[in-house]
Amino acid sequence: MAPSTQFEVSQPPNDVISAVVFAPDNTNRLLVSSWDRNVYLYEIAEGTEDATLLNKFEHRAPILDVCFGANGNEAYTAGLDCSVKRIDLSSGEQTVLSTHEKPVRCVVYSPQHSMLISASWDHTLHVHNTSAPASTPITISLPGKPHALAASPSKVVVAMTARLVHIYDLPALAAALSSADPASATITPWQQRESSLKFLTRAVACMPNDAGYATSSIEGRVAVEWFEDTAESQARKYAFKCHRQTAPEEEGGGDVVYPVNALTFHPVYGTFASGGGDGTVALWDAEAKRRMRQYQKFPDSVAALSFSNNGKYLAIGVCRGFETGMENFDSEGRAKVFIRELGETEAKGKGPK
Amino acid sequence: MGKKKRGHPDVEELLARPWCYYCERDFEDLKLLISHQKAKHFKCDRCGKRLNTAGGLSVHMNQVHKEALDKVENALANRQGLDIEIFGMEGVPDDIVQQHNQRIITNFYTAQAERHAATGNPPPGHAGGQGPAKKIKMETPEELKKRLADHRAKVAQIKANGGTLPVPVVVPKSQQQQQQQAQVPASVSPVAGQSPAQGASPFPPPQPGFPYPPPVGVMPGAFPPPVQPGVVVGAYPPVFPPRPTTGGTTLPHMPPYYNGGPPGGGGAGGYPGAASTVDELVSGAARQGGGGGDEIDQLIRAAEQGQGSKPPPGARAGEDAGAEKKGKGKDKHMRMVYGDSEVSPEEKMALLPRYAVAAA
Repeated sequence: MAPSTQFEVSQPPNDVISAVVFAPDNTNRLLVSSWDRNVYLYEIAEGTEDATLLNKFEHRAPILDVCFGANGNEAYTAGLDCSVKRIDLSSGEQTVLSTHEKPVRCVVYSPQHSMLISASWDHTLHVHNTSAPASTPITISLPGKPHALAASPSKVVVAMTARLVHIYDLPALAAALSSADPASATITPWQQRESSLKFLTRAVACMPNDAGYATSSIEGRVAVEWFEDTAESQARKYAFKCHRQTAPEEEGGGDVVYPVNALTFHPVYGTFASGGGDGTVALWDAEAKRRMRQYQKFPDSVAALSFSNNGKYLAIGVCRGFETGMENFDSEGRAKVFIRELGETEAKGKGPK
Repeated sequence: MGKKKRGHPDVEELLARPWCYYCERDFEDLKLLISHQKAKHFKCDRCGKRLNTAGGLSVHMNQVHKEALDKVENALANRQGLDIEIFGMEGVPDDIVQQHNQRIITNFYTAQAERHAATGNPPPGHAGGQGPAKKIKMETPEELKKRLADHRAKVAQIKANGGTLPVPVVVPKSQQQQQQQAQVPASVSPVAGQSPAQGASPFPPPQPGFPYPPPVGVMPGAFPPPVQPGVVVGAYPPVFPPRPTTGGTTLPHMPPYYNGGPPGGGGAGGYPGAASTVDELVSGAARQGGGGGDEIDQLIRAAEQGQGSKPPPGARAGEDAGAEKKGKGKDKHMRMVYGDSEVSPEEKMALLPRYAVAAA
């Protein structure tokens, strides 16, 4: 088993990290978006323990999310300035795809259907056809404010306030998009669910095998659910507590509960990692319902996670997390990006017990 | 004479129970003890793997998590060391075993005395009070112990010989007499030689006209029977010769003075419980009974209190993964670092002036 190593990226962003994401076609390439108004493109130099900063793309507003497009040369960003942008990573050219009425919280790209979906605090989703960039996007209005978004090969999961979860069918969206009059198409969710978690959803991640998804909340809890709407499948769903610490007795004891900020599935083994406000990353086996590993504490809250396309690397965005009562929140200079090179079987589950 | 089953185990049963070196808990059988140790003391708090020994856990932590193990989890304060290799009952140092047995015996007799006091029943042997008691009134604790030792030697011999009469051994004259005394019930009562508990019993065997053994060390009659409710709990001294680790039926395991049987008080020396005069017995009883147990008892109590209210940190996250349905009252005490379920942290951050979007 190859030894697992971990290193820190030498030129990290200056402020809070909103997302880290690996390229779909290049194991060594990753993007990091930050509240310092920049998107950073890094490439891990093979055989060395560093990732060099290839380029950074400045925006006029903090960036809340980033994702790759069809290949490693194309990226989409969600900005606090309400715009969804496409970035050509080789030329640096930025084009605005659409503008929401409020800041854009998440973007997700579906390579199977060449679609970009953006979610905004104006209670809408925009569905863009990226093969025809000039076309107007479909607008889907939502019953709540979206906070997390994730796509599997055939579904997209939107988690909103008030524990609302909507699941849309991607082929249906694609069909609506290619119809004669996209704007008038009525789109209804494939499924509407209530979140298994009682508190505000922080993150959603879909299983790479298209079977289900995991959600996490601000209350140190992760839920795993399945798409299939049968009694057996729904009976399989579960939730568990994590990212908590026992408070010292002198402070009254009990648990200190941290938000679970990030979730990501391993593309090969189907296990998943969670990152929390306690600064830890844990690896879970969704099938066996077991924790496989918990890595040593990072200096600050874990804000974002991403596995590379073959699962060789795990990128961990670490920065100060916003906590209740922080009026003078300032994370400048405390953001770090760690890359962990995983051992061959490090993220491999043992299967159901 | 069938053995009377009481609601509470006798001291032999208590002593035979396997117990955990790290936390002094005892168990029904060795399997349970081993699984307890794996779950409580040798479990990896990173991945939940259960190892067989502290050394094994240390190696695991080193190799898998690249961390050093510095102490055994959930152990009593002075038992956290990694230097002693414990597996089940193996590897427990002799002095700790002695200490443990002493503690069990002490607790047993304290509890017994409490039962007698609570029920108002006189302890066995005190029933009649008058007649036969006078006869053995003159026996000192040394004589009692010696008699016991002789009896055990005899029982062991009978066993060795397949239940027949013992081969004569060289015994000092004064002891020979007592040995004959002791021999009578052993051959008369069929149970005496067969039941391991009886065979290992430190009590002198039943004697004619005196059917129940007196409480250890105390001379019947010299001590008033606790019939009055106001009697001091723990008045029956927990004085008892320290027990060998095994059931006690085999001769080689006996402490040396069992074999020698010196007539003086010297044989009882060195063990806190074995006082040589009645005065010492009484004062020792008062001390142990009133003091509410020894050091280990206090340690255990402290540890239990500590554990009852708060499980060890680190262990929790691992447990949660497997048992998310444990709906405990713990949640009442939880404190969330971010508690707003309506507005996300990002929305609050977006309101900060430093993130204000420059006008287009």
